[in-house]
Amino acid sequence: MTYVLMKVLESAPQRYDKGIRLLTRGSVDKAYDFLADHIQAGQRVLDIGCGTGALTLRAAARGATVIGIDINPQMLSIAQQRLTAAGLNEQVELRELGVAELESEPAASFDVVMSGLCFSELSSDERRYALAEARRLLRPGGLLLLADETLPAHPGRRLLHALIRLPLVVITYLLTQTTTRPVAQLPQLVEHAGFTIRQRYRNSLHDFTALVAETG
Amino acid sequence: MLQLQFWLATILQTCLRMLPFPARTGLVAIGEPGPESPVLLTCNFDLTVRRVKRALRGIDCWLLVANSRGVNVWCAATGGLLSNHAVISVLKTSGIADKVQHRRLILPQLAATGIEGKRIRQQTHWQVVWGPVEARDIPAFLAAGQHKTPAMRQVTFPWLRRLEMAIAWAFPISLVTALLAWLLWPQALWPLIGLVWATSILVFLAFPWYERFLNGKQKHTGFVFFDFGRFGVPLLLWVLVMVGLTGWLAWHGNLTAEPLLRGGLASLLVLVMVSIDLMGSTPLYKSGLHEDRLWEVRLDVDLCRGAAFCEDVCPRDCFVVDRERRLATRPRADACVQCGACIVQCPFDALSFVTPDGDTISPDVIRTYKLNLMGQRAQRAA
Repeated sequence: MTYVLMKVLESAPQRYDKGIRLLTRGSVDKAYDFLADHIQAGQRVLDIGCGTGALTLRAAARGATVIGIDINPQMLSIAQQRLTAAGLNEQVELRELGVAELESEPAASFDVVMSGLCFSELSSDERRYALAEARRLLRPGGLLLLADETLPAHPGRRLLHALIRLPLVVITYLLTQTTTRPVAQLPQLVEHAGFTIRQRYRNSLHDFTALVAETG
Repeated sequence: MLQLQFWLATILQTCLRMLPFPARTGLVAIGEPGPESPVLLTCNFDLTVRRVKRALRGIDCWLLVANSRGVNVWCAATGGLLSNHAVISVLKTSGIADKVQHRRLILPQLAATGIEGKRIRQQTHWQVVWGPVEARDIPAFLAAGQHKTPAMRQVTFPWLRRLEMAIAWAFPISLVTALLAWLLWPQALWPLIGLVWATSILVFLAFPWYERFLNGKQKHTGFVFFDFGRFGVPLLLWVLVMVGLTGWLAWHGNLTAEPLLRGGLASLLVLVMVSIDLMGSTPLYKSGLHEDRLWEVRLDVDLCRGAAFCEDVCPRDCFVVDRERRLATRPRADACVQCGACIVQCPFDALSFVTPDGDTISPDVIRTYKLNLMGQRAQRAA
């Protein structure tokens, strides 16, 4: 009995993408495409918590040079395989690093800092730190691109969100041992860190949000 | 009130012990700590955080709760969840550096399978001290000038821990039992649940009496009752039981579907209970399901300089360091549970794993992919 359980647990990173799609009911692809439209060829991009490389691949495909960081070597090796398959290896450098390990990167050295489905895995201390780091690393006028599960602000939407989400959380957890904690007040956090929000994408339930923000 | 919360959390999380329970991460002040107070770190498994806080009552100190995804220290560190990154993150983002003047971080010894003391020092300038295995030993450890006795370094499996594991197995299995009984045999609901709990408690509490029959070095344990490893043996046994039951019912001229179905359910339950991963539920043996229990730790005496990190982090007390010859020895190598802590911590890379086929798994592979080798375990190494 536990043998099956162990096997399921051990193959979890391989099924991460499927789990996330289920949990976000497809919003993630739309949001990532919306964000990737703001990246231009030749730009220097940092992907915080790149995971299996969903945003990294999109940025590299648009001709940007990307540094992708993640703390999970299993995720990084899946990302590496996908980059190789897409022939985008030369534009991308993947590093096993956390957001608190970027001190050696010089200030104002990136055109874009992006992060997809990573803030929902960080503590509130870490989110504050990550936003401050993003601000330090971006050149003036640089863009912060964020996409994540968010807690709807409106009580009615919040209730609907909870009802729809609960069975999905159970199914996703059973299949992939993945779950996420939606971020409350993501736009306010971003503005509080000194960014100005330029554009916003939200799904109909407001439980998935993508933001384009600018320094200054 | 706090007491009640503690015990309610203990009961709930013991029943659902197989699931992660994440606690809030970050910095916690215990008592009235100052700039010279000790700094300790633990995982964010809620029950662990509660137990550590309880053990630290009356001591002024700082407690850092690092993100281990709600999983306990040993499992999280060995499986790659409680990592260097988690420790560095909480050190940098919690603001602890502004609260204290020293840079000494006390880590739980069982985290040594996943956190590299050397890397933490290089990246953060915090010096790592490996604390005791059990939270309840922390006060004595601090009082002795942050010094561990040999007993503080070892994992044990006392009756209270065995009872915890019995509950952790009995509770989820009794939920499934309740569902099955409700569908097939409603009158026997409580007796069947009683059977599950009795079997589980008996299996774990009797552990010291049959422990000597267990053999962690074989692929299949010598003692066939537990730890079947695969479905085959339990299913075969069950088929035999069913054949016997059918014969017995036929002999008494009572061969109908109902007693067969019910006998089948009850015998299946007992078989499920005794074929659970018993060895993997103890801290004294490696799970019977993982081939890395067949690996051996190899010591390269030419590289060893007697730094004694291995002796400090080994939870099974395998090592003795000869201080005069500046050389580690492994007089109790038989007790090894292949946790890999010694390999991860050795500053001279003098230790490594060797598979039964003679392949070497280098310290760097273990440090990067942890013991589960990217979730592929032994298959990847082969």
